[in-house]
Amino acid sequence: MCHYIRQWKRFGLLGFLVIVASSPAMAGSNMNYRNHVAVAQQVDQLIEQNIKEKGQPIAKAASEEDFLRRLSLDLVGRIPSVGEMTLYSLDPDPLKRDKLIQKLIDSEDFAYNWATYWNDVLYSRATDSRAGRLQSRDFINWMKENIETNKPWDEVATELITAIGDVNGNGATALIFAHQGEPKEITAEVTRIFLGIQIQCANCHDHPTDTWTREQFHQMAAFFPRVAVRRNRMKGFNVFEVVSIDKERKSNAQDILNNPQRLVRTLDKNGDKKISRDEVQGKGRLTRLFGRFLELGDKNGDQALTAEEIQGIPLPGGTRRASTEYYMPDLQNPTARGTLMQPAFFLREEKVPSGLKDAERRALLAKYVTDPDNPWFAKAFVNRIWSEMLGRGFYSPVDDMGPLRDAEHEQAIELLSKAFTQNGYDTKWLFRTIANTAAYQRSIVAPSKQTDGDEPVAFACATPTRLRSEQIFASLLELSGLEMNRDGASEVRGPARRFQNDPKSKFTNLFNYDPSTPQKDLMGTIPQSLFMMNSAIIDKMVSASGNGPLARIVRKYNDDTDVIEEIYLLVLSREPSKREMEICQDYLKKSNSRNEAFEDIMWSLVNSSEFISKR
Amino acid sequence: MNSTWHEMINMTRHGFNRRRFLHTVSAASVAAGTLGFRDLISLQAEELRKRHKAVIVLWMAGAPSQMETFDPKPHHENGGGTKAIGTSVPGIQVAEGWEKTAQVMQHCNIIRSMSHKEGNHRRATYQLHTGYLPAGSVKHPSLGANITSQIADKDLEIPSIVTVGRGVDGGGAGFLGVNYEPFVVSQPGSIPENSAPLVSNSRYAKRLNLLGKLQQEFSDRGGRTVVQNQNAIYGKASRMVQSPSLQAFNTDDEPESLKSRYGNSQFGKGCLLARRLIEHGVTYVEVVSNGWDTHDNVFDRVATLASQVDPAMAALISDLEDRGMLDDTLVIWMGEFGRTPKVNGRGGRDHYPRAFNAMIAGGGTKGGQVIGSTTPDGTRVQDRPIAVNDLFRSICHSLEIDPELEHMSPLGRPMKIVDGGEVIQELFS
Repeated sequence: MCHYIRQWKRFGLLGFLVIVASSPAMAGSNMNYRNHVAVAQQVDQLIEQNIKEKGQPIAKAASEEDFLRRLSLDLVGRIPSVGEMTLYSLDPDPLKRDKLIQKLIDSEDFAYNWATYWNDVLYSRATDSRAGRLQSRDFINWMKENIETNKPWDEVATELITAIGDVNGNGATALIFAHQGEPKEITAEVTRIFLGIQIQCANCHDHPTDTWTREQFHQMAAFFPRVAVRRNRMKGFNVFEVVSIDKERKSNAQDILNNPQRLVRTLDKNGDKKISRDEVQGKGRLTRLFGRFLELGDKNGDQALTAEEIQGIPLPGGTRRASTEYYMPDLQNPTARGTLMQPAFFLREEKVPSGLKDAERRALLAKYVTDPDNPWFAKAFVNRIWSEMLGRGFYSPVDDMGPLRDAEHEQAIELLSKAFTQNGYDTKWLFRTIANTAAYQRSIVAPSKQTDGDEPVAFACATPTRLRSEQIFASLLELSGLEMNRDGASEVRGPARRFQNDPKSKFTNLFNYDPSTPQKDLMGTIPQSLFMMNSAIIDKMVSASGNGPLARIVRKYNDDTDVIEEIYLLVLSREPSKREMEICQDYLKKSNSRNEAFEDIMWSLVNSSEFISKR
Repeated sequence: MNSTWHEMINMTRHGFNRRRFLHTVSAASVAAGTLGFRDLISLQAEELRKRHKAVIVLWMAGAPSQMETFDPKPHHENGGGTKAIGTSVPGIQVAEGWEKTAQVMQHCNIIRSMSHKEGNHRRATYQLHTGYLPAGSVKHPSLGANITSQIADKDLEIPSIVTVGRGVDGGGAGFLGVNYEPFVVSQPGSIPENSAPLVSNSRYAKRLNLLGKLQQEFSDRGGRTVVQNQNAIYGKASRMVQSPSLQAFNTDDEPESLKSRYGNSQFGKGCLLARRLIEHGVTYVEVVSNGWDTHDNVFDRVATLASQVDPAMAALISDLEDRGMLDDTLVIWMGEFGRTPKVNGRGGRDHYPRAFNAMIAGGGTKGGQVIGSTTPDGTRVQDRPIAVNDLFRSICHSLEIDPELEHMSPLGRPMKIVDGGEVIQELFS
């Protein structure tokens, strides 16, 4: 009980009542997991207790302007407009943070923003780089609808794992399509994305740092031998579909070569223990393929094949496709068929019945993956969203968790994951909850002086993070005041789209990164900075003449201080500090041209790391 | 041991740094009780930076036919009627269409016995760039990124690794990070997009100065790391923009006679640019030629492509030789696999990874030789099979880079620059 008394002192009576009402210890199994504010407070309590035990201070809450910018970028993927900033700052409601969170989560931009996030997650690791180009829009539309209708995460995962049919207009096929239906790749991605577990190291040997064995990896791959991606030439050159292959489809060659001894016995007419072109006359497929077999197998060049030579003919590529079961490759003998694998999910004991059809196999795997008893499914999602919003995960990298990894504030992610599961994998609920934590709402200013290079204790202060390509693009649109579709390429079709020559695709190619990359590995590139410094687009945006945003400000305000403040609000969504105002005023004084000076100031802010970061 | 590893990665990722190096040595020495093997390698790498070794890859995207390039089969039906021509080296023949390359054969090593198992363009391209097969969850660095991370000149004002043409699968820096991401030039001959400031030089300098001052606030308010990273990249980018070396990208001042030797094709311009970039201190340049996926009409299509690649490659080799750069510049001509020896019904050849060819010149190689051979019908490697890792190991050998050097992947799994394989000794003895 003394634990609760401590909390009572911290939160006051009201806080005490909330904690008591929502505490699992007090309320037993009836804890109200639905109440996002209560869960957020519990999570905070666990985190703060932990930080204090380490003797570390905690940063104060972010200012209202920092919070508004952060939340806008996280939820709707762009900086707030000047109008939104004014409205928010004038709202006297003490609960306005939660009100804004709710409003943004329910907006269309929220769905679009997070659809692009998942697009980047899925396609950044595509083994077929063409897949994203061909299918991105379909995937984003599909994902956007999932998010708007708040489709539970287990249903989204199930649809991605079990997808079938034409990839056009069917975003659910993205995961299979991105990896060309290849079982090993799909296995690696399903475990990485949905479970946050990297099992693919076990492809070739038992996992070096986890407990997974090579056999477990290939048992999981055995859920996918019957799925394939095919080009549908009937419908066009670049039309692909995901299909199930449930019938054993031996290739001609494989069929014929299956039993070399018998083949020679039945065809050898002259008793020389080999078969020649004459002896295979009128044998249909064999007659047609014989020349090819000679090319591949005739070692001594006598234009005839012995049983031994036939044995040595390598099976043609794509043999795997011909099999309806999965074989673990033999590392010593890569051309051999390998060991037949029975499907099994590495986190469960039970055996899967043999000979299941493709649809049954994948549905069963989806059930195993999304089962509420499998803790990693909820944890992987919670860790990912938390990490994207706070710039730092409980586990890092976001997709490398697993039983042997240490989490920061483990109890907090356990609680949040459990609540997420209890809420039926309600994703909007999770966003609301995370955005309501004090951990999310803290300032980026470290509470104590950190020595150079030392990372502050996790979640003691917020972490500045680099914006995704979509966020930068949408923010540039926002500040330029252009009325343009966020999907700037939506009207571009045909060759320009295919070769990615439209402005939005070019921007995306330049600024995109894999969102599973830890923040500290994101440093930007030279072509990106060249674009920000020297491109005609940015030049126009920072021009004081014409009809750009700066031109409008300069026309509207005569007072230099006003102009500087407006530029800061527009670009960085905050007012300049006293020091910054001085630097700008000083720059103005030394300049021959007032307009040029403002252009230089605006150029500097657009080019600042603050503009392309979340703070 | 973990902290040592961490230091090693920092070192290889961000280049050689004396302060960091001393720190690492002490950590490693504590762990191993002596100065480690890798520390010596690092020291050696520092030496190599001064020597300026370099690589130019001429990448035939789509997979070139070996029978129509450097392994003609004029006496076999599979040769498809393609004639063989003599070269500057008695006894070595190549396919017709490669007359100019034939004249520099004394510098070239033809490898006719390349072989691997990937018949898919993307997967094979990835393998021929990284040495590894694609695995969705690990992004392997390209050999070029690995090489650049080891021996590039850190003071260079332009990027150390450049791709001319569209970037290819597996050509990126992977987990080595943005410092070794190739700088892509799509229009060889002129300076890259957005690298010319739209304001005067003096105003540009003023802007950069103002930017630096205004960033201070965010840095003090918790954004220090982000600002530092940004400053590093902006420093590089603006040095490049303001650098005289940027003119390396502009081939206008090359003599017309030399330009016409390279040819007026994009590929020819790319090869000329490659030489200029290497001259200016760039470590790794890949020039991409597209259109080699000749499932139909292989003879005419290769003839057209050869009319661009042959003069460009020959001019590149002799130009490097004339400038005394060939010994330190390894030139590699290759594609992702070969093509079926048997001509198909559409007069084309399909994918064939079992036996294909590649060519290497310069970089301390012997030249004037053919390594390996295929059977008379071209269907199999007859002797001296060469795998991708053998080729990669040989490239490392030429550059005096340790192929066993391990980078830690983000998942904490050490990965060698080249896994397995043996140096092709004939190249160097």
